[in-house]
Amino acid sequence: MRNMLLLAQFEVKKMLFNPRGVIALAAFSLVWLLILLYPIRGASEFLISPDYKALIEGLFGPEVVSELFKWSVAELAIYWIAALYLFPLFSIFIAADQFSSDKARGTFRFLTLRASRESIFFGRFIGHMTIQTILVSLTVLATIVLAVSREATLLMPAIGSGALVIVNLVIVLLPYTALMAILSLYANSARQATIYAILIWAAMSITIAIINNYLPIISELKWILPGSQISLMINTQGLGSFAYAPVALLQTLVLLLLGRIYIKRSAI
Amino acid sequence: MRLIECKDLSKSYGSKQALKQVDLTLDAGAPIALVGPNGAGKTTLFSLLCGYITPTTGEVSLLGHKPGDAALLGRVASLPQDATLDPNFDILTQLILFGTLQGFSKKEAKSEALRVLSLVDLAGSASQKPKSLSHGMAKRVAIAQSLIGSPEIVLLDEPTAGLDPANAKKIRELVRELSSKTTFIISSHNLDELEKLCGQVLYLELGQLTQSVSMDDSQQSQYLTLTMQQCDSEKLLNGVMELADISSIEKKQHNEFLIKHNSEEDYAIESALFTLFKQNSWQYKAILKGRTLEDKLFS
Repeated sequence: MRNMLLLAQFEVKKMLFNPRGVIALAAFSLVWLLILLYPIRGASEFLISPDYKALIEGLFGPEVVSELFKWSVAELAIYWIAALYLFPLFSIFIAADQFSSDKARGTFRFLTLRASRESIFFGRFIGHMTIQTILVSLTVLATIVLAVSREATLLMPAIGSGALVIVNLVIVLLPYTALMAILSLYANSARQATIYAILIWAAMSITIAIINNYLPIISELKWILPGSQISLMINTQGLGSFAYAPVALLQTLVLLLLGRIYIKRSAI
Repeated sequence: MRLIECKDLSKSYGSKQALKQVDLTLDAGAPIALVGPNGAGKTTLFSLLCGYITPTTGEVSLLGHKPGDAALLGRVASLPQDATLDPNFDILTQLILFGTLQGFSKKEAKSEALRVLSLVDLAGSASQKPKSLSHGMAKRVAIAQSLIGSPEIVLLDEPTAGLDPANAKKIRELVRELSSKTTFIISSHNLDELEKLCGQVLYLELGQLTQSVSMDDSQQSQYLTLTMQQCDSEKLLNGVMELADISSIEKKQHNEFLIKHNSEEDYAIESALFTLFKQNSWQYKAILKGRTLEDKLFS
């Protein structure tokens, strides 16, 4: 347990205090700055206008986007949509090197004689989740600042729904990070792990689509793919988003168990 | 409790069998050497002992536990071949992490890291990153990490390969110094080095343990290995054979001879040899009591 936390702490340090990590963070911040300044700030102005609301509802149907207009802080509504799609993508890149380069370099061999493979696996996973939680929190904070700069009275509602958004996004990212842990354990480099991830998502999406088409009886199979709930989560807000949390949590649990078995058996 | 026990240990990589039914029991004590040609399975045996890989068949136990067991964490250390540290962090930071993982507090881990770095003469390079180190320095850092927390077993895979002679000597002295508390198992191709250092030599060939030689066996006293500077080989062979109590003399390499005798009296053969050299004005280079490791293994 102590070793697990030590390794998690070291992983966060690796991201935040070394040049490569800092460059990745700078790129990440820049992308989010652009998203915040243009789509989020711009679109939230639209979202408030009743004409625009009528137009959107006319386009997509009132059922599909109904929740979008219920957000008390319009900026967070747009942020929610952007983050639901972008963060999992970031996750695939950020968490791609949980193990691969250490394994290829042999650095792992220095660790396994001092910490159990289990604590290495979970330590790294916790470390990467911590990094992503920090990133999510920072972007939510920036969105809140943006909202408050428009309307100061939004501070309290923004903090409330911002906190819920953070928790929901972190839950969404759990299975992605867990799957990347397994893939980076198998791959020899971070790039290879990312390619495997893309292949898995593409192949599984296609398979699930085919199954849905021909064997609708087992269409529930789609829930095994991480992120399958994201498109449905768009039209939820606040506590309502937690309705999909069990999907992600269950996927994470299964993936972590598989990863634990894999790291115990794999040659390093 | 046995230090290391292997029963019927085999490891295959696909169709290639790297290790075949190795049975081995080792006890704590003087350093143990593992020798054998390239591809004999030395590194595979080391990796099995460290738990980096799992055996195809058979069993391994260290200090009564399976490799990778929580009870062994921090008690077994190794210098893995070709493993390098994380290039993102300086050496000290990584050694401190290793120390804290072994149960030291941050402060203790730092002084322990500096202690092991000074053992290999690298305390001054503590703040360098692994990439700025030369091959030899990186190896010494890897040796240093294996000494953190004074483990009971240290496996060194070719510790002096690639080191300059002065540093290789320093590492040998270090191993000798520490071997009262720690049992070292050393794989190397440098037989002279192992001869000076080890009490027992295991010879691995084609994945099988073919010989186990003890350095201080009683037979040693029946042999003398003689190295001459310049001499007439034929004349020397004949001259030595004419001395009393000589069973045989054999030319091993250029100017190196192995003499077998059955003299009970101390120094009788030696003084007879010196008299012979003086008579013929031959210069000798070295007289070794017993046989060289090379001769023991390959004759």
